[in-house]
Amino acid sequence: MMLAAFADPVFDSQRSFRELLQAMARPAMPRPLPVLPPAPAPVAPAAMAIMLTLCDATTAVWLQQPEDEAIRHLRFHAGLKLADRPQDADFALVTDPASMPPLDAFARGDMRYPDRSASLIIQVAAINPAPVDGAHEFAGPGIRETETVAIDGLPADFWQQRAALAALLPLGIDLFFVAGQQVLALPRTTRLLEG
Amino acid sequence: MTYNFAFLDEDTKRMLRRALLKAVAIPGYQVPFGSREMPLPYGWGTGGIQVTAALLGPDDVLKVIDQGADDTTNAVNIRRFFHRVAGVATTEHTAEATLIQTRHRIPETSLREDQILVFQVPEPEPLRTLEPREAETRTLHALADYGLMHVKLYEDIAQYGHIATSYDYPVLVDGRFLTSPSPIPKFDNPKLDRSPALMLFGAGREKRLYAIPPYTRVESLAFDDHPFEIQRWEHRCELCGSGESYLDEVVVDDRGTRMFVCSDTDFCSGRRTEAQA
Repeated sequence: MMLAAFADPVFDSQRSFRELLQAMARPAMPRPLPVLPPAPAPVAPAAMAIMLTLCDATTAVWLQQPEDEAIRHLRFHAGLKLADRPQDADFALVTDPASMPPLDAFARGDMRYPDRSASLIIQVAAINPAPVDGAHEFAGPGIRETETVAIDGLPADFWQQRAALAALLPLGIDLFFVAGQQVLALPRTTRLLEG
Repeated sequence: MTYNFAFLDEDTKRMLRRALLKAVAIPGYQVPFGSREMPLPYGWGTGGIQVTAALLGPDDVLKVIDQGADDTTNAVNIRRFFHRVAGVATTEHTAEATLIQTRHRIPETSLREDQILVFQVPEPEPLRTLEPREAETRTLHALADYGLMHVKLYEDIAQYGHIATSYDYPVLVDGRFLTSPSPIPKFDNPKLDRSPALMLFGAGREKRLYAIPPYTRVESLAFDDHPFEIQRWEHRCELCGSGESYLDEVVVDDRGTRMFVCSDTDFCSGRRTEAQA
């Protein structure tokens, strides 16, 4: 039997979008998503909320683990197209960050149209906004001074890969991390400060 | 006849929302979007209206201003439009609003982190009067080649002795993209810099939207020997006595008598109410 999507599609996606917009405008600051729709494995409910809010027949989505049930669910509820290769994706869903493709596998736009770039939704083990072990300090547009947050479950060289992309600004990819009900965005302009 | 909430269909809102997220991720960069036909003509704020429609929810409190005033034709009609198609609460008080759509001003009252300011933009491309070809201006942005604009400002100085641009004064956002602040007076430019509120810009006819995220560096272009300056008046507002706000010069009779009053009507009436209390 197929699971349901947003109970109230118009207002659930509006409320979700406003949190995503604030998350993107205030990077490295986790925010709770207001609605968590049902989601078939391996898709997390928070990731499903983002895809139902932003994806439709005009967006190509790449799934790291394209399970049949998840594909059926997304096609039925969002009508979205699937991308076979990471470089063709407008949105990419990373359900197992430890084995994710390198960041430079995704589209980062071209110099005249840097917006034609991928947005990644990465399901991580935990997001912890405290100066704990493994926490990083971030700065950039949207951040008043600095923000400190730990994002658990990423590949060891993830931050080096991201730093390499920073040299290409304004080209780049934009990241949404989800854990439980939390979402945290890191647009391409957010810099990781060396500790 | 009933409309979908906030007039636009859900596919259009999703398209706008995706574009807005990219706009915030690339501060000052103009994102193309599929501008829709709205029930009022281009030039009446269709870009701002589409951005507002993509944002608006039932809990929002909407304020709309035109040149600082809540009670001018454009502001009244847009406020009434959203009251009709979304049933949202509206206000004239800056502090009560969650969402403020504006034409050509930034409110005098400082904005907060939980507020969003939406600008109506006639011409999003700051280089357009200097270079009419879109393909060329895109290349200039790609290369961050803004020499044309510096030459234009220099020619102002050579001709008039000072930079004569007084509104739509070009800014550099986050040190990267040359951006039009929309036709706000340059008086308002300092309010763009490191604003606590998110600022979104929509140009309906030109089909572009862009953003300045909160706490983002926004510099008004200038030269070391001709620093950026805002307008100053010898007058104070004749209604509330403010010496810090942006003033409109109003002709009050057919003999040419003039008075100077605050352009921000909510700020002005708030000060008058306070003075009476």
